Amino acid sequence: MSDNMTINADATQVGGNGNVMIDVTNMDKFFGDFQALTNINMKVGEQEVVVVIGPSGSGKSTLIRCINRLERHDRGSIIVDGVELSDDIKAIQNIRRETGMVFQSFNLFPHLTVLENITLAPRNVRNIPKAEAEATAMELLERVKIPDQAHKFPGQMSGGQQQRVAIARSLAMKPKVILFDEPTSALDPEMIKEVLDTMKDLANEGMTMICVTHEMGFAREVADRVVFMADGEIVEVGTPEHFFTNPQEDRTRLFLSQIL
Amino acid sequence: MAENVNPVVLPADVAILAAQNEANQAPSQKLPPGEWLKKNLFSTPGNSIVTIIVGAIAAAALFFAARWVIDSDFQIVRTNLRSFMIGQFPRDELWRPWASAYVLLAGIGLTSGALARSSYELSVSQELPAEKESILGLARRFWGIIAVMIFFVSFARTVLPFIGLAGAFALVIVAREVGWRLPASVRRSAAFIGASLVVISTLVLSGTSHLGGLVLGLIAFIWVLREVGRRDLPAGITGIAMRVAPALLAAIVVYVIQRAIPHEGFGWEDWGGLHITLFTTVVGITLGMPFGILLALGRRSDLPVLKTVSVLFIEFVRGVPLISLLLASGLLLPLFLPVDFDRPADLTLAIVVIMFFSAAYIAEIVRGGLQAVPKGQTEAAQASGMSAASVQRLIVLPQALRAVIPAMVGQFIALFKDTSLLSIIGILEFLRVSDTSNAQPEFVGKGLAGVTYLFVALGYWAFAYTLSKESRRLELKLGVGTR
Repeated sequence: MSDNMTINADATQVGGNGNVMIDVTNMDKFFGDFQALTNINMKVGEQEVVVVIGPSGSGKSTLIRCINRLERHDRGSIIVDGVELSDDIKAIQNIRRETGMVFQSFNLFPHLTVLENITLAPRNVRNIPKAEAEATAMELLERVKIPDQAHKFPGQMSGGQQQRVAIARSLAMKPKVILFDEPTSALDPEMIKEVLDTMKDLANEGMTMICVTHEMGFAREVADRVVFMADGEIVEVGTPEHFFTNPQEDRTRLFLSQIL
Repeated sequence: MAENVNPVVLPADVAILAAQNEANQAPSQKLPPGEWLKKNLFSTPGNSIVTIIVGAIAAAALFFAARWVIDSDFQIVRTNLRSFMIGQFPRDELWRPWASAYVLLAGIGLTSGALARSSYELSVSQELPAEKESILGLARRFWGIIAVMIFFVSFARTVLPFIGLAGAFALVIVAREVGWRLPASVRRSAAFIGASLVVISTLVLSGTSHLGGLVLGLIAFIWVLREVGRRDLPAGITGIAMRVAPALLAAIVVYVIQRAIPHEGFGWEDWGGLHITLFTTVVGITLGMPFGILLALGRRSDLPVLKTVSVLFIEFVRGVPLISLLLASGLLLPLFLPVDFDRPADLTLAIVVIMFFSAAYIAEIVRGGLQAVPKGQTEAAQASGMSAASVQRLIVLPQALRAVIPAMVGQFIALFKDTSLLSIIGILEFLRVSDTSNAQPEFVGKGLAGVTYLFVALGYWAFAYTLSKESRRLELKLGVGTR
């Protein structure tokens, strides 16, 4: 797949159940004059878990932030669940509705309780009645194993608990895909496991996921495919076994030697 | 990395932070008076010298001030007490100011009681220490206003004002207790009930329909906004009807009440004194607040037209003195009105100017608050598919406004004192009563300005001091400035 690589590695082989959920074609992204992403081609299949790794500043976060239009891409196309991202605000909101996101810094709403954090978007965006939204929220809190925290404010919880609330919040919209942007990087070591366990459960339940992470153990165990990025390009793509036992590219080998 | 999580610590809730802050504060140590003196005032020779010099100056100042007060003749205040309070309000209509004040105080008591209860319930639900504030605690918080009011009334020549004041205190306490005991469903509308009572209070005092309509419209508008924000109402026509109906109902009720109040053919040109000073401040800031918030949002808008208009307005109003705007209002504003339109009363113009003026300053305060809300908050809300308007209304503004409460109170105090400029355009506000009193035949040329100014200064001080104390209390509760 990646012998004498002069163009970017191709990540367009669809995994999961074979249906394409996200389709990124020839995508470029600039910040002013700086080219953050170069010629990105990537497909993600339904129920597939793709882990994106790479050094800092390689464009991993920018890539997934383009997928729900927190960043605007400059060239190429991004199609999410059959809808193409354009400047059309309706299309953007439709895609965001189906796309959950979990942030490095949690970004829970500090002025709302846990329950309100989770029910806000379903009630505001999907017009779900309060009682129904709260019932769903309680189920989700059971699922991330913190139902007793429902009436607390985010500031009263540990980082790990906050991040699990953030996962529950994104699940409340019943998304078709969830984007994880370094979900454990801001956590104390003893809290990383609880968040990763929650993510593993999600993956096992068949959720489509793209995770930007530095947790190689998670990548090895849960990923269907690993995408390695450097300098705004996709350098190498493969299964976890391929990646951690037999990487082809020098840059991949260098990166893995530095972090493992 | 962990510091990244919440760049700005925004309060989860007032009650919670209050409880947490109290828990964090170390108990203060009490020393016997002798040791306290030694430790704080005479610890070193240098400290002792400073203590003695400053003590001597303070004692001398106090002595001269006391002698001046004792030597002064306060007859001028006694004669003009009513003017200081209500200006030239018709003397045979005195029941109106009293009734108006009582309705207003009932509203304040009811609302504050309901809010205190809600905050208490929240603390309890969070398993944090919570306590109902005692009457003594309230008296300590508002001692400045209470003391000055008692002092003012002590100049009265009949016993009625004493009874009136005592009744007012009692009413606030009772209303607060009622507000505390309201069922939760009614408490949700506490602010609306309070606002309605404010309108009724104003109507009792004015009897004019224009003003009533104006304020009424505002209240209905706020009510509609609040109802629109409710998600448990059905969508479609039924939902819209259910949202508009309360506003219409409120409008009808207030209209009926207004018609029922006898109208004696006097308007708010007859208002004056401390009353008008407080009234302009409160109306200026409450009308200026929504306008200021819109300006702040406009200034951050992506639409060039909105942005330019907002910036121009804010920078123009902030760039000129309030007094010039007040003077210009009488000349300029009528130019923008239709020719056959009656020239509005000076007070109307002044209130419009004060509203614009405070809106410009509030806009800049709110802008600071908006900038303090981390970008991640907007992104998280956007990522869930919320519309831009919902993101601002539900996520950004609540956090921004909470962060700027202390600055907002500061602006409130500044505006309160700035209303003394109304005297220059001929409105008989609190400060100007001092001058008119000194121009009366029996007092003219007797050099009593000092006496009346002292009296007026005390009035300003009582409210400004209490406000600033309350603001500091809020600040402490919110944890702004600590950490």
